[in-house]
Amino acid sequence: MVKKILSYSYIYIILLLLYLPVFYLIVYSFTAAELAGQWEGFSMELYRRLFLDEEIMTALGNTLILAAISALVSTLIGSLGAIGIYYAKKGVRTLVENVNQIPVVNAEIVIAMSLTVMFVFFGQHFFGGESTFSFWTLLAGHCVLATPFVYLNVKPKLLQMDPSLYEAAMDLGCSPSKAINKVVIPQIIPGILSGLLLSFTLSLDDFIVTAFTRGPGLLSGQAQIETLSTLVQSKIKKGAVPPEMRALTTIIFLIVLVIVAVYSIRINRKNKALSGKHARRRSAK
Amino acid sequence: MKYKTFRQGLALPFALFLLLFVVIPILFIVYYAFTDADGFFTLDAFKSFFTSTVKLNVLLISLLIGVFNTVLCLLIGFPLAYLLANPKINRNYMLVMLFIMPMWINFVLRTGALRDLLSVVLGWMGTTTGEHPLLCTMIGMVLNYLPFTILPLYSTMLKLDKSQIEAAQDLGCNPFHTFTRAIIPQAMPGIVSAAMMVFMPTISSYVISDTLSEGKIMLFGNSIYLSFSNSDWNGGSFMSLLMLIIIFIVMLATRKFQGNGGERKLSAW
Amino acid sequence: MEKLQGKMESPFIIEMKNVTKIFDGTTVIDKMDLNIRKGEFVTILGPSGCGKSTTLRMIAGFETPTSGDILLNGRNITTIPPYRRPVNTVFQHYALFPNLDVYDNVAFGLRNKKIPMPLTDKEGKPVMKIDRAKVKDVKSQIRRIKHDKLISKEERETRLEALEKRLHEILSTPVQAYKYRHLTEQEIDEKVVHALSVVDLDELEDRDITTLSGGQQQRVAIARAITCEPLILLLDEPLGALDLKMRKDMQLELKEMHKRLGITFIYVTHDQEEALTMSDTIIVMNDGVIQQIGTPEAIYNEPQNAFVADFIGSSNIYNATVIAPRKVRFLNHVYDCLDDFPVNERVDVIVRPEDVRLSDSPKDSYVEGRIASKVFKGIHYQYVIMIGHDEVLVQSIKDFDQTKPIYLDIRPDGIHLMKRANDLNIYTDSYIGKDHKVYIDDAPFDCDLSCLFPNASVDEDGIVTYDKKKYDFANADVTATIDPRALAISDDTSEANVTGEVINAVYKGDHYVILVRTENEEDFFVATPYTFNPGDIVGLTAKKEDIKLKLRGDLEDYEI
Repeated sequence: MVKKILSYSYIYIILLLLYLPVFYLIVYSFTAAELAGQWEGFSMELYRRLFLDEEIMTALGNTLILAAISALVSTLIGSLGAIGIYYAKKGVRTLVENVNQIPVVNAEIVIAMSLTVMFVFFGQHFFGGESTFSFWTLLAGHCVLATPFVYLNVKPKLLQMDPSLYEAAMDLGCSPSKAINKVVIPQIIPGILSGLLLSFTLSLDDFIVTAFTRGPGLLSGQAQIETLSTLVQSKIKKGAVPPEMRALTTIIFLIVLVIVAVYSIRINRKNKALSGKHARRRSAK
Repeated sequence: MKYKTFRQGLALPFALFLLLFVVIPILFIVYYAFTDADGFFTLDAFKSFFTSTVKLNVLLISLLIGVFNTVLCLLIGFPLAYLLANPKINRNYMLVMLFIMPMWINFVLRTGALRDLLSVVLGWMGTTTGEHPLLCTMIGMVLNYLPFTILPLYSTMLKLDKSQIEAAQDLGCNPFHTFTRAIIPQAMPGIVSAAMMVFMPTISSYVISDTLSEGKIMLFGNSIYLSFSNSDWNGGSFMSLLMLIIIFIVMLATRKFQGNGGERKLSAW
Repeated sequence: MEKLQGKMESPFIIEMKNVTKIFDGTTVIDKMDLNIRKGEFVTILGPSGCGKSTTLRMIAGFETPTSGDILLNGRNITTIPPYRRPVNTVFQHYALFPNLDVYDNVAFGLRNKKIPMPLTDKEGKPVMKIDRAKVKDVKSQIRRIKHDKLISKEERETRLEALEKRLHEILSTPVQAYKYRHLTEQEIDEKVVHALSVVDLDELEDRDITTLSGGQQQRVAIARAITCEPLILLLDEPLGALDLKMRKDMQLELKEMHKRLGITFIYVTHDQEEALTMSDTIIVMNDGVIQQIGTPEAIYNEPQNAFVADFIGSSNIYNATVIAPRKVRFLNHVYDCLDDFPVNERVDVIVRPEDVRLSDSPKDSYVEGRIASKVFKGIHYQYVIMIGHDEVLVQSIKDFDQTKPIYLDIRPDGIHLMKRANDLNIYTDSYIGKDHKVYIDDAPFDCDLSCLFPNASVDEDGIVTYDKKKYDFANADVTATIDPRALAISDDTSEANVTGEVINAVYKGDHYVILVRTENEEDFFVATPYTFNPGDIVGLTAKKEDIKLKLRGDLEDYEI
């Protein structure tokens, strides 16, 4: 019993410490004070100001647009890549998979720096000294982060698939592209979706690659593209987290919490069903 | 055969993408690391790095903080993962997810929040964050990287062979020996994965040390970022190359413990 | 005239002409010629890895032959992709689409099918166009012939010329043009319902594939393949995943279905009993080569070689010698036989277990033996009888006392003689190395060079003295011969002269004859009392004195 209490207190103390900074912002998002730590009575004023704050809204918009586009592009390239590599010869497969592993294990800042020097070189030598940095370089950067993970998400689904399905489809009159669409894609769609979701969150959270590879564009117009990460970083370099961001933190926290809760409930059900099955099998023996 | 070419051809964009945005950029790093501003071959970046005590210190401190952070995260994370994976303590996946969830809240924002909170707390004690840069940075590192260690540890704990532990107890091992002789060896792949998830990103991190030490602690990531800000492509490339080599060496050294490198981050999904 | 012949109905639905398939340097199918008659139930039978599945996949279109042609109803389909062939496959693990229900799985092929409709202009006259599909097909055949490295230059040129001529012909003669339409939902529905009733699955239309039993999935796979009304149904070990009882039922049902549908079935299996039960014709394959084609009866009663005899049913195979016309000696006894072989020819003799007669009392011409084992098999007893060192497998309905001597006899019609396929390992491209070892298949073997000539002697440096002259045979070409019994075979490859893979093993009364193939595709026959399985990697060793050498070329060249 004592053991159990100790265990629980350990778990929950760590959990509390982990969330303390976030809770700190959340609590003070319900008061209008300029600085967190000062309570000036309950107020939803910060939420109103958040939605009127053009800077934050632009950054938020940029972040979401960028995440959506880079997730779609990465998922397309990565999924098709996984299908193609699944059917490729062993030597090709090993080579591509090893290259694919590089961005997975590489430090983000090295990825960012390598892309940056390449873009700088292209600017100097092919574009007459003009900067090549734009939305497109930023998109490329985010795709480098995400595509390898899409590949790694889709691959196991392909391995689980009956390798004859594609041939069966062609045997029944499907052209190769139709066979991929009608038979292979439906089999690996869970992998594609989780790849999409993962690419989306990787892009949302990214700071380093964004800071290195961004240029003017998107909602920022002629100015450097500002995402949530870069905006927050530039703000906290000068001082405390801006009050409107406290409101934003609450909103992000709630959205993530709902997603996590729904996902956990699904997993819990699955586990329960599984352990039920095991129990039945055991009793049958 | 045509249709076989077609289905392999689907990987062509992917292969070109990897070539253009993964392989070639690395070649550019190598190129920039050994050339000067005019594009001529030089070992200047190499020399200036290894003759500068400041830069060597940065490397040393980065490695030290990296090791320290890794050890701390493992010490805190290991018992946590063990408890979470123990069906007598926890059967709810939600609790595990709660430990991972901070990963999905913008980490720059979280770091800013921690800095603000720390300055308040330290303010009560009559001091400031600026006076304890190392302490603040370490707190930030541990809080940020702990979630990354939980997942790989948790998934190996789930797979622990209970009968081995029972056998160890049966053969007269006390709890400590059971732990060191039956649990640790089984959990080794997870421990190594978790360590890799912390060590490398710590060395190359920028935002956490920059924000929490108020610029007083320079890590390897910070100095690469600095050369980026100063458009010092040659120096930055050399340091990136060095980082890449360190990563490569660490990967090789831990290879036999590793499963698929990607699985670790992936298992969150 | 020539043209007419080309269009004449060929009795064969599939003709494979000189087909070779090489995967990454390994020859899987070796110069195969095969004709399959319309409407037959044909089974390709052989052990795993014999090339039977590859043959089927080439007919289906999943593989293209490295060289050679495949004709369907006299038309060359070698380069036609699988989705344009009127052939459907039942896959080994069914390959049902898990995302579709039973109905949609069966309807899958029909939804892709297009029906040609003759195109007419406003006045109702047929529209004539050049047949683009044929042009494409001939062009791809031309490309293939150009890259085929296995055919001779002359053949390539004549074939290219013929194809160019044909291409020209197609390009200059417009034919009736067609437009294509999909089947209507109603047409699809009729066909699906019909196919499901053929396989007795009428009730399960809406069921999810994953909820079906193995046998039901099997039926869906068959229904799916027959809805498109293919000319040929290909079945790739379709019953392998079913349990024995279900398999027996399905065998009969498939046979029944074949009769009803009237189309050609090509069935691939490694199960000889399955092949014997169902087929009109059996093609026995081994090692990429057809061993025998014939009716089940012919294959069983008159196997053409030891492999077929050993693979089909259980049989006793012995080395034997023909000692007089229609008299053969084996098992220490002379038997009368029906097959006429030259006297003194060494042959393989095959005796089926049910053709051996047993008796518990000595009779004329009966040989005495001892019962080594006795197993009750339901209808009969299976005995293993020892005659000297030789085992004889016998089936008899009589119950004999195991402890008493037994007498056996074989009647002439129970003895089947075959030409001995392999007797000695002969390597005509061996040579003597500088180290005075013989290199067979580029592997060094210790040898006794003095065996080259009678009364010759050899010194420590490998110099041979013969007829008072000295010879150095370094780099000499020789023919090396090794008796299969002199080769030692072992799992341990570290000390062996050569290593290779076991291709097959045939039991001959008291020993196995094992075919071992090295990486360089050199074959070694080994006689051994021990069992090895196909696929085992083994090492072979030969003693110095057991390698017989014969010099090729002039003796004088090597004199010193």
